[in-house]
Amino acid sequence: MKKSAINYFLIAPALLISIAIILVPGILTIIMSFTDWNGISPNINFIGLGNFQELFADDVFWKSIFNNVKWTILFLTIPVALALLVSALLVEKKKSRSLYQVIFLIPYVLAPAVNAMLWLNIIFNPMSGVIGYLRTIGLDIGSPLTNMSGALYAVAAVDIWHYWGYLSVIYLAALRQTPTDQVEAARVDGCNAWQVFRYVYFPSMKSTFKLMYVMIIIFSFLAFDYIKLLTGGGPAHSTEVLGTYAYTFAFSALQVGKASAVGLFMSFFGMIASVIYTKLSKNEEIA
Amino acid sequence: MKLKRILSILLVLAMTVGMMAGCGKKSSESADDGKSDGAKEEIVMWFWGAEPYAQKVLNANLADKYNASQDKYTLKIEYRNSVDSDMTTALAANKGPDIVYGSGPSFVMPLVEAGKLEPMDKYAEQYGWADRILKPIYESGTVDGKLYSLANSLNTVGVFYNKKVLEDNGWAVPTTVAEMEKIMDEAMAKGMYASVTGNKGWKPVNENYASLFLTHYAGADTVYKCLKGEEKWNNEAVVSAIEKSAEWYDKGYLAGKDYGNMNFSEALQMLADERSPFFIGPTLGYQWAQSFFTDDKVDNLAFIPFPATDKVTEPTYTLSVCCTFSINANVAQDHKDEAAKIIDIMMQPEFTEEMTSVWPGYWGTPLKDLSTVDVESMTGLSKSYMETIKNIAAAVNDGNFGYYTNVFFPSATQQVFIDIENVWYGTESASDLMDKADTEFTKELEKGLVPPVPQAGVKAE
Repeated sequence: MKKSAINYFLIAPALLISIAIILVPGILTIIMSFTDWNGISPNINFIGLGNFQELFADDVFWKSIFNNVKWTILFLTIPVALALLVSALLVEKKKSRSLYQVIFLIPYVLAPAVNAMLWLNIIFNPMSGVIGYLRTIGLDIGSPLTNMSGALYAVAAVDIWHYWGYLSVIYLAALRQTPTDQVEAARVDGCNAWQVFRYVYFPSMKSTFKLMYVMIIIFSFLAFDYIKLLTGGGPAHSTEVLGTYAYTFAFSALQVGKASAVGLFMSFFGMIASVIYTKLSKNEEIA
Repeated sequence: MKLKRILSILLVLAMTVGMMAGCGKKSSESADDGKSDGAKEEIVMWFWGAEPYAQKVLNANLADKYNASQDKYTLKIEYRNSVDSDMTTALAANKGPDIVYGSGPSFVMPLVEAGKLEPMDKYAEQYGWADRILKPIYESGTVDGKLYSLANSLNTVGVFYNKKVLEDNGWAVPTTVAEMEKIMDEAMAKGMYASVTGNKGWKPVNENYASLFLTHYAGADTVYKCLKGEEKWNNEAVVSAIEKSAEWYDKGYLAGKDYGNMNFSEALQMLADERSPFFIGPTLGYQWAQSFFTDDKVDNLAFIPFPATDKVTEPTYTLSVCCTFSINANVAQDHKDEAAKIIDIMMQPEFTEEMTSVWPGYWGTPLKDLSTVDVESMTGLSKSYMETIKNIAAAVNDGNFGYYTNVFFPSATQQVFIDIENVWYGTESASDLMDKADTEFTKELEKGLVPPVPQAGVKAE
């Protein structure tokens, strides 16, 4: 009984934080999604499914979901492939890998606002950036951020540039857990580099790989900062995602009820990913 | 083991204490305290994150002067980059500063409806604001006949031009849109930008052009009827005005392919560097222009109202304000009184002169009588700006003004006009966009969220 009381006492701070800043706001968000609250007024009217009906009839909302899906696919492929390749190469570089890790982590530890300013001024700037320079040598090109078909990929490129190094470091840490005797045994048995990675290294990092996969899906549906900083969801909503659209509803159009409804969709996709991960982890444990 | 347990309990206690401390309130963010560490009480004002030189001049001319004028209170100005969202969040929780900064009357409307702002009529009477402030601007700060906000400055969208570029190319200052379009065509043929501007980093820049085309192509009378609910937004005049803006965008008149890749600072730098004859933008652009029109370039910059169209032939200004000031309803009475006193300091011609002489572009106080502001003693862009403000004030007094979306349009409708770029990029027709405007506006009109709209075309008494 005494031990149990101490246990409850020990988990109390985490529980309180979870209730105060996750559970309560979460429940309030669900409730608000059925209202026309503007974020300030004490007058809150329940409008049933009104916000959801309006969202379902809104092309920009569907465009945002589609962009989130595209964003997820981009992040599940490019940085993952890049990080796997680099971490597999670095795992053998025992002396120099620390330096590489620091270099790769630099974009990740810089604030998104700093990274966005760097790209806006050094790459995309029409006067002083790479775009401006290319124009001076006769290549009259516009910024991909202003191109409807290329803007999402341009923003994703910046975010991937900031993210892949971090993923490499995580993968490298997982690869380093592989028992060296297994690696050596595989080599003695005549495995080539690919076979060593495929049959020895990768199985040992599989749980980390799966976890990061799920985290990428969750974060992709929460994408906001780089899009807001680089394009604000434009041009003409071509880079709009659920996060930026919810922000516009909440702080520009003062439609917090509708913003809450959009927020629920963001959480919904993340929840699906979490449930799948939990299920897979459970099966793994049983196995 | 025992040591570990004790350590764990100590850590839990430390976290709990930390959490409790974190839940405590900062005095400067609280609406109902305001005691500073000394004997003086703090009167808090939030402001946007202006440039350091601008903060310095505002502190000197407002905070320092007010603080030196008495010994009971001290004015603290907090500069916040996210002031709009900070303000709504704080006021929703009955917190926030004593003096409420707002980005325009349409920002103020929901706050009034929620009872977060103090009516300022008794202060208006005490300080004679109704007699001193331009009637359309004063009225725009009222709701149901009560005053809730005062604008700090007139602002309009017009045409900045580089005198040297026009002279070097043998172009006269345009008086009609046809003349301006001809110059822009010739500029592009010479490899220059037709005009420089852009919405990089701030999508609401689009509403400058939505407002401009509504004023000069749809006409202020049509917009007035729409804002009063007497006419639908999807009418021929408004749709045609939106389509005209798309025509300009297609022709490259709005910085060509760089509209989305240029901000106002970069645009003004390009104008100073003679890479374009025009910058079509708000008069608050003067504050950034002074970084680029320096030394021998100072006299190159000039400003004209948007040239005459077939519909609007008189010099007409799309009426806007830089920001508004209100009083928090949830602060102590003496703080409200002091807040009003501080707001009144900002409504004085002396303040206009002091601020504008260092920070042109943001403090063109909307006074009926600006004759005491000594323009001749000003130099550089301050002089040009003050002359422009005097012209705007005279035109507004004569009823020659249009309606800027961020001042006179309710929030969700305003958002539709920011989406004017959907029409420019061809993802939506002007008619469909205006259908959306009708849908949002109808809901906001029913909820009483449309700001008061002064009638254009009527000369003030």
